[in-house]
Amino acid sequence: MPNLLQYRAWQGTFHSEWWSVWPIARVALGTLVSRWLFRIVGVFSLKLFLMFFFGAYLLAWFETQASAPQLGNFADAGRMIRGIRRAMQILNGSQDTFQYFFAYQGAIVVVMLSLVGSLVVGNDFTHKSLVFYLAKPINRWQYLAGKGLAVFVVVQIMTTLPALVLFAQHAFDDWDYLLNIHYFTDTVDGKGPAGILLLFAILGYGTLLSVFLSIILVATASWARRTIPLIMVWLSLFFFMRILANLLVDGLRYDPRWRLIDLWNNLTMLGQGMLGFASDDIQPKFRPELWEASLVLFGVSALCLIYLNLRTRGVEIVR
Amino acid sequence: MPDLLESADAGRRNRALETAYSAVPLAPKQAAPASEPVLLFHHVSKWYGPVIGLNQVTLELRPGITGLVGHNGSGKSTLLRLAAGQMKPDLGRVDVAGVPAWTSEAKRHIGYCPELDTFYEEMSGRRFVQAMARLVGYTRAEAHRRTENTLELVGMRDRADRPLAGYSKGMRQRIKLAQALLHDPELLLLDEPLSGIDPIGRRESIELFRELSRRGKCLLISSHELDELEKLTDHIAIMASGRIAAVGTLTQIRELLDDHPLTIRIASDQNRMLACILLEWDDVVGLDRDDRFLKVRARNPRRFFQQLGETVLDRMIEIQHLETIDESTQDVLGYLLSGK
Repeated sequence: MPNLLQYRAWQGTFHSEWWSVWPIARVALGTLVSRWLFRIVGVFSLKLFLMFFFGAYLLAWFETQASAPQLGNFADAGRMIRGIRRAMQILNGSQDTFQYFFAYQGAIVVVMLSLVGSLVVGNDFTHKSLVFYLAKPINRWQYLAGKGLAVFVVVQIMTTLPALVLFAQHAFDDWDYLLNIHYFTDTVDGKGPAGILLLFAILGYGTLLSVFLSIILVATASWARRTIPLIMVWLSLFFFMRILANLLVDGLRYDPRWRLIDLWNNLTMLGQGMLGFASDDIQPKFRPELWEASLVLFGVSALCLIYLNLRTRGVEIVR
Repeated sequence: MPDLLESADAGRRNRALETAYSAVPLAPKQAAPASEPVLLFHHVSKWYGPVIGLNQVTLELRPGITGLVGHNGSGKSTLLRLAAGQMKPDLGRVDVAGVPAWTSEAKRHIGYCPELDTFYEEMSGRRFVQAMARLVGYTRAEAHRRTENTLELVGMRDRADRPLAGYSKGMRQRIKLAQALLHDPELLLLDEPLSGIDPIGRRESIELFRELSRRGKCLLISSHELDELEKLTDHIAIMASGRIAAVGTLTQIRELLDDHPLTIRIASDQNRMLACILLEWDDVVGLDRDDRFLKVRARNPRRFFQQLGETVLDRMIEIQHLETIDESTQDVLGYLLSGK
C-alpha cells in the first residue's frame, strides 16, 4: 500500500478563513443578480432614487419661479408655487429628505428581501448545499457572515449608496451644505444638521438597516427556507405587527411600549434619532423611548444569532 | 487488447493529473507521519435525538481505497459526515491527519464529495469549482489554475461553462469530484461517486481513484454499486445498524464467516475420488455433485485450500476448474446483513 511520502502540499500561503466570507457573499450576490425578480424590484428602487435626485432640481426650479416677475399676473400662481414648494421641502437635502428616502427605499428593500431571501439562504438548507461550504476550511460563522454580507451589500446599494449620492448632489450644489453643520438652522425654516454630521447620520442609518435586515433575513430564511413561507414571516414581522401595534396604541390606547413589537417602527425611530430629529419631532407621537427600541432590536438580533448557531449546528441531521 | 476509447482520454487525464500534482515542488509529507492513520474514529457515537446514528465505531484508515457498504440507514452517511467534519460526535473522537475532523486545519486534508447534487443551478460548473477553491483560501490566480487542472482531471474542462441546471447526473458527479479534488486532499470521502455516470465515465472515474490511491491518497468510497466497488478495491468496511460489522479485505471477512461456509465449485479428472476425500474432512460441511462439477461448502477456507492443494498433489488429481461462488461483496454483505 502506498504511503504518504509522495504527498505534495501546496507551498503558498492560504488566506485567512475569514477571507472566505467574500467569495460566499459573491456567490450569493451572483445568484441574486441573475434573478429577474431582483432586477424588477431594483428598477423600482432606481425610480425612487431618480425621483429624489431630479426632484431636487425641480425644487430649485420652483424656487426660481416663485419669485419670477412674469407670474405676477396670475392671481394664485405665487400661492400655488409656495404650496408646492412647501410640499417639496422634503427634497431639500435635510434630515427630512433622508428620513423619507430611507423609509421608502427601506420598504422596497423589505419587499425585495422577502421575495429573494430564500434564494440567498433558504436554498442552502432546502437543497442541503450548505454541505459544500462546510466541507471547506471554514466554520459556520464564516458561512453565515458571508451570507449576511451579501444581504448587507444589497441593502447598502439600495439605501446608503443612493443616499450618499443625494448628499453629494446637494454638496456640489452648495459647498456650504457640506462645510456648515448649521446650514439648515441658519436658514429661515430649516432644521436639523448638515455637513459631516448628516453624512455620519446617513451612514449610521444605512448601517443600522443593513445589519439588522441581514441578521433577520439569514435567520428567517434558514427557518422558513422557501419563498412563500418567508414572505408570510416577513409580512407578519413588518406589516401585521405594525397594524397590531397601531391598533393597540392608537386604537385601544394601550401603553406606547406596545409599539416595540413593530420592528420597522423601532428601526425608523432610531434612524430619526440618528438624523438628529428633536425628541418631539420623532414620529409616531405616542412611542416608546429610543433606548427601548434599541434594546428590542438588539434582543431580536441576539435571538436570531442564537437560532442560527443552533440551526447550522443541526443542519446535517437526517430528517 | 489496447482500448481505443481509452487511449486519448487517458493520456490527457494523466497529463492533467501530472499538472495538478506537479505544479508545486515535491515536498515531504507535512500532514501526518506515515505511521499515523489518515482517518481515525475512536469509539465514536452519534445520536439524532433518541435514534442512534453511529454506535461505538472504531476505525483506522490509511492510504488506499476502502469501500463503505451497508444498507440504507446503516450509518454510512453519518460516518462520512463525521469524517468530513460536518458534525461533531456525541462521544469519542474523529481525527483527520491527527487533528479533530471539524477543525479548519483538518478540512484542508479532506475532499468531500456528497451524494446530493443540487447546486446553484444558474452558476456554471467552472464558477462553482472556482468559488469552492476560493473558500479553501487560495489566491485568485491559484484558484483559477487549480480549477482548470481539476476540471481537466475529471474531463469537464470543455463543458464547464454551461449552467449547472443543464448538466446530466454524470456531469454533476464530475463537478462534485472536481470541487473535492481541487485542494489536493489526503483524504477523499466519496458518497456514491459512480451513481449516474455512464460506463465510460465510470471506467475513467475508477482509473482516477486508482491513480489517486497510487499517489498515496486515502479514499473512503460509499457505494451501492457493489460490482463497481469490487473492481476498485477489495478492502471494505461493512456497516450495519450504526456499527462497523467488519473491516478488511473480502477474503479476510469471508474467512471470519464461520456460520456461512464458503461455496467452491471444483472440476477435476477424478471427481468421484475427490468427493470421497473431501467428505472426510471436518471443514467440509456439504457436497453436491453433478455431471461435471463438485459444489463444496467448506468452513475455514484458508485451511481448506491448503489441504486441497496438498491432496491433489499427493493423489495426482488434475484440477480443471476451481472457483469460489459466494465470495463477492454482494454475497459477503448478504451474509453479514441479512443472515442469508
